[in-house]
Amino acid sequence: MADMKIGAYICKGCGIEDRLDVGQLVNTAKRDGKAAIGKDHEMLCNAEGVKMIQDDITNEGVTHVVVVGCSRRAKTEAFSFEGVHINRTNIREGVIWVRPDTDEARETTQEMADDYVRMGCAEAKFSKVPASSGEQGLTRSLLVVGGGLAGLTATIEGAKTGYSVELVNASGELGGSSAREYKRIPHKNGLQGPVDNDIDQLIAAVNDNARITVHLNTTITKTDGAPGRFSVELSDGKSLTVGAIVQATGSKPYDMANLPEFSPENPDVMDQGQFEAMVKANNGAIKKSDGSDARNVVFVQCAGQRSEKPGHLPYCSGHCCMTSIKQAHYVKAAGGDATVIFDDLRTPGATGEDFYRSGQEAGVAFSKGEVASVKAAGGALEVGYTDKILAEESTIKADIVVLATGQIPNSGPNPYLPIELAQAKEDKDDALVAKIEAELEVQPQPILNLNYRQGTDLPHLKHGFNDSHFICFPYETRRTGIYAAGPVRRPMDDQQAVEDATGAVLKAIQACENSALGRAAHPRSGDLSFPSFRKDGCTQCKRCTVECPFGAINEDEQGYPQYNEGRCRRCGTCMGACPVRVISFENYSIDTVGQQLKAVDIPDEFDEKPRILVLACENDAYPALDMAGMNRTEYSAFARVVPVRCLGSVNVIWITDALNSGYDGIILLGCQKGDNYQCHFVKGSEMAHIRMSKVDETLKTLNLEKERVGTYEVAITDVDKIPQIINDMEKTIGEIGMSPFKF
Amino acid sequence: MSEVVATNETIMVVGGGISGLTAALEAAECGKQVLLIEKAPTVGGRVGQLYKYFPKLCFPTCGLEIQYRRLKANKNIRLMTMTEVAGISGEAGNYSVDLKVAPRYVNENCTACGDCANAVEAEVDDAHNYNMKKTKAAYLPHNMAYPQRYVIDPSIIGTADADKAKAACKVGAVDLEMQEENLSVTVGSVIWATGWKPYDAAKIQPYGYDRYDNVITNVEFERMMDPKGPTGGKIQRADGTTPKNIAFIQCAGSRDRNHLKHCSRICCMASLKQTTYVAEQLGDECKSTIYYIDIRAIDRIDDFHQRVKQDPNVSFVKSKVANIVGGSDGNVVLRGVDTEGYNRYANEHDLVVLATGMQSTVPTGIFPEGTVINEHGFIDLDESNGGIFGAGCSSDALDVNRAAQNATAAALRAIQVVNQVAGTEG
Amino acid sequence: MSEMNQAMIEKYRSNFLQEVEANVEEGHWVKMCMQCGVCSGSCPMENNWDHPPQELFMMIRANKRDEVLSSSSMWMCTSCYNCIARCPRGLPITHIMHGLASYGKRMGLAPKEQPTVKFGDIFWKSIVENGRVNELKIGVGLYFMNGFVQGIKNALAGKELGLAMMKTKRMNPMEYFGGHKCKDRSGIAKMLAKAAEFEAEHVAKFGK
Repeated sequence: MADMKIGAYICKGCGIEDRLDVGQLVNTAKRDGKAAIGKDHEMLCNAEGVKMIQDDITNEGVTHVVVVGCSRRAKTEAFSFEGVHINRTNIREGVIWVRPDTDEARETTQEMADDYVRMGCAEAKFSKVPASSGEQGLTRSLLVVGGGLAGLTATIEGAKTGYSVELVNASGELGGSSAREYKRIPHKNGLQGPVDNDIDQLIAAVNDNARITVHLNTTITKTDGAPGRFSVELSDGKSLTVGAIVQATGSKPYDMANLPEFSPENPDVMDQGQFEAMVKANNGAIKKSDGSDARNVVFVQCAGQRSEKPGHLPYCSGHCCMTSIKQAHYVKAAGGDATVIFDDLRTPGATGEDFYRSGQEAGVAFSKGEVASVKAAGGALEVGYTDKILAEESTIKADIVVLATGQIPNSGPNPYLPIELAQAKEDKDDALVAKIEAELEVQPQPILNLNYRQGTDLPHLKHGFNDSHFICFPYETRRTGIYAAGPVRRPMDDQQAVEDATGAVLKAIQACENSALGRAAHPRSGDLSFPSFRKDGCTQCKRCTVECPFGAINEDEQGYPQYNEGRCRRCGTCMGACPVRVISFENYSIDTVGQQLKAVDIPDEFDEKPRILVLACENDAYPALDMAGMNRTEYSAFARVVPVRCLGSVNVIWITDALNSGYDGIILLGCQKGDNYQCHFVKGSEMAHIRMSKVDETLKTLNLEKERVGTYEVAITDVDKIPQIINDMEKTIGEIGMSPFKF
Repeated sequence: MSEVVATNETIMVVGGGISGLTAALEAAECGKQVLLIEKAPTVGGRVGQLYKYFPKLCFPTCGLEIQYRRLKANKNIRLMTMTEVAGISGEAGNYSVDLKVAPRYVNENCTACGDCANAVEAEVDDAHNYNMKKTKAAYLPHNMAYPQRYVIDPSIIGTADADKAKAACKVGAVDLEMQEENLSVTVGSVIWATGWKPYDAAKIQPYGYDRYDNVITNVEFERMMDPKGPTGGKIQRADGTTPKNIAFIQCAGSRDRNHLKHCSRICCMASLKQTTYVAEQLGDECKSTIYYIDIRAIDRIDDFHQRVKQDPNVSFVKSKVANIVGGSDGNVVLRGVDTEGYNRYANEHDLVVLATGMQSTVPTGIFPEGTVINEHGFIDLDESNGGIFGAGCSSDALDVNRAAQNATAAALRAIQVVNQVAGTEG
Repeated sequence: MSEMNQAMIEKYRSNFLQEVEANVEEGHWVKMCMQCGVCSGSCPMENNWDHPPQELFMMIRANKRDEVLSSSSMWMCTSCYNCIARCPRGLPITHIMHGLASYGKRMGLAPKEQPTVKFGDIFWKSIVENGRVNELKIGVGLYFMNGFVQGIKNALAGKELGLAMMKTKRMNPMEYFGGHKCKDRSGIAKMLAKAAEFEAEHVAKFGK
């Protein structure tokens, strides 16, 4: 750090000058913040102000720029200097906009700003500009697993973008379930009815493309490495190097044997796949099992789906309404009668509703009802159902009954089940233990065979589907550089599988490009900082490898963590987990936060000026505080807010240090955890809550009240609630008294 | 604006809502140059006007914040707000695009301090709140507006108010001399993502949106949940009282050849979601009734539907409401037939929320000849469209998750076009 | 007529929808109904029917042939066109209702005691006899269609109006005996005979 030179620049604009003694802030930066250069400016973000800073960087060798003015979320474009560390010390949204403009508030407001200047300089002092590791070159090659419609689409689209693609398919035939289709649902203009199955053209295009290598009858025996440098071993002994992976392993039909009430043993009761195969084999003719022509076909929707009954699928499979309409078209085209018995007919969007109308126009009968039974009756079948429109029990004769049984994803085993089992055992939750053990019994074979500390395959979200559960970010899996596409990700129809696969390929390509430059993937896109650890201090406790939400960290033979830059999302959960504090990023470490909280001036106990440390998640809580400022919502002048990358990165040492150095209250603001988590790093907030639940012990040791530390789940919209939490803490401190740990 | 940097290796994304932002960011993070065009003064689009997303009931601004961070950090994206596309000509790899930039009257010096808004007296309709309230004629569209820069409404230009705004600004950001600008750029590919607008509920004559104060739309209902919105975050009737018995009418303008033929996909889930707002705010004090044809809670989000069905305060009637007539105390009476067993009803409700559909905003007459826009107004994925791709709700009625998915796919298709220009494709 | 009915039953076996599509005016629209119920809810006849349009459409699909064709519901239609205006699928519901009524009548299944059916009969009889409508005869016919006693009661109830109409020469009681006829009654009769011939041909096509 010999070359370090801090330049602190205090903005006077936006009313700062009117509310604060800017000269004093400059002095604070120089005296307490050890800034070599301390300057103020009328309006730092204008061209002149920016030039002033740039000149100091160029001519004076400033390496660490502390911009004291508005929030880091404002004026980002203006303060984007290359090659230096930039700290944005927020005295606008964070100070003058949340404090009243009164004479009596002036002193505490100034103290607030002075503290933030000290904190900003301290943060800068312990930060370095992240240097890209530069260890990786660009690997313009992708692995696609699964050769069905989604996999083929991913393969051809990847090749069309200029990447080479290795397509690994477990069977000897490409096309998956699409190859078994007689016709397909149109992707546009639904009114036209079913269209020719053109999967052969797609297969031919894949086979003919020089950038594509197809591996048939092949599975993956091992996947090692990280985005940009995955090494993959195949069952035929070949090994591949790829930059990213798309898993498009599709789905299998739900087993209708689970539905005895529908006579699944009867050869004329079929699932949609069997019916499709029969029609294809007969080139459009609808034949019963005995070879005779079928006149009447009844389609039973939601068979074993959308049902809480044991053994049924609790979800809707999304495609079955459209598929039944398509198949009913076959029946009408062959001159027969088709009836679809449904609960809600789900054909959304423009193409969907048009396709429904096409079925009606073809003369398919649609009946809202609930099917109770399918029985053999006099050489035919009899479907017993409740006609919900006519409100009566009814029967309908059929030569063939088609059960719309839905999709089950072809996922690998859920890597977290063993962990959940251990937890359930620890909690002595016998019911849950039994449930997880039963699930473990029927876990599928591994697909990717990841050589990862946290299991062989993509984590499951729900019902066995691989998904991140993000609404805004459908592709963010918890295994960086590996993207699920098609019905393995969520139930979907062909059209959506094509879109999904195309999008997944983009993400795969992006992962290659990012890792080549050492850049983080979503949500800290472009971040070049990267965690490293000090080996001589590491106790091989494995907390970091276990708690990483992204399974990014492996263990070497001695149990030391092995970081994988390409897999890391830079949230810092490992740093928060480390009991011996040996993990750090260049610009985010135990020190960059720890030194900030130490830089705060802690007044004497009898000054009655408590200090409240607020560790705020920068993704949601911090923006909410900004917006509180924009709304001019006041909160306590005793709060000192430190943004953190994720609450999961909060190391307990910060809490202990803060308590020991006389803070009167500590507030941790993170995102919602649990099933509907809003934590951008999936598990970070949850980890923080678990860790903080153990802080009570520390408080007890120090003989402090447990009310002094509060951990909250908040959202970006809690613009009024968060100031309230802070003010409540001030009130609580007023009630329980100041911390005795002031020096 | 002569410094606009765009070449035939640039991808132009039109529309800065969730789909356009996603397409722009995904392409830019693959290293591509992107020109992002937005008509409004801020990006963020419709999702910025929503309270929560289904099915997680999380907040749209959370995802927007991430997108903004990506946007701020990415130098490959050039953002132009208040800009509209007037015409596109040419072919894949070489499009000439005419742009029209409306004056904001505030330049990049703006620090969003708010002094101009304090100085100005005139008020204008607040588009962010679907004109349910007014805002100052110098305004920041909302707290999540990006760029974080004020706008001066053209209606006060030439008035003393405008001069006051200029005088109040200490940073020289107010520029009353700004004029509309026209410019032409060359781009290689176009992603059209201008999203949707709520179908005009007044056109559904039997529902009396234009006649009854307590008949509102689903998008207006969303605004009621914003503490900074027209009702201060309260679910309320036109007279400010709290409703006790809310009706949600599905397919208000969708699946209807008199209005929009297509199913708008999101409205079922949106109404289910909105019943949770009612539960959250009014608990047992308010009942919700959903009048529907089919509940299209497709795929694994059906569990949200199942969850709402468990709520004893929410009931479902399978019926397209025939018409609405006025009742006492500002209440209205919904008339129709519950088709499950034919029960004629005349149900009184004190607030009605119309689940109005999504209408495409894809314009006609500005695309090169042969561009396939289907009868519903959506851009089909079609080879004859060359390098022009619809994304999000310009391609079909989509929910946010599918819009983001579709926009990501559109970004790849656009990249393939510009790669071809650059000679780096296959 | 019942012969023809039987023929139709034979021909279409258990597919009443197809029978409707082939024989009922605008019947091919029935399959397009998505059971939203807006027609039923929009009908001003409210509860004065057994089966509103959408239920009839569902019954057609459920093969409830007799119930549909003998229903009085479609005879209640006043042609207000509310249903057509509101139907989201654009079904010409009013026309389908009339088509179903007329088909039911042809099959001999229309309800005998339904007032609109009776009105139709009286109206038709008047046309056939006179070549034009004799309003008085129709009026009297309607008054007495439910029996003599009820007829007298109806007449007494309408007495004031009747007298007023006579006074202002809007009604001539003598019309009941003979009354106006059209000039070329035999021409009308020939026309009707020809129409009947066409009808028979049409029906014969379905007979086999």
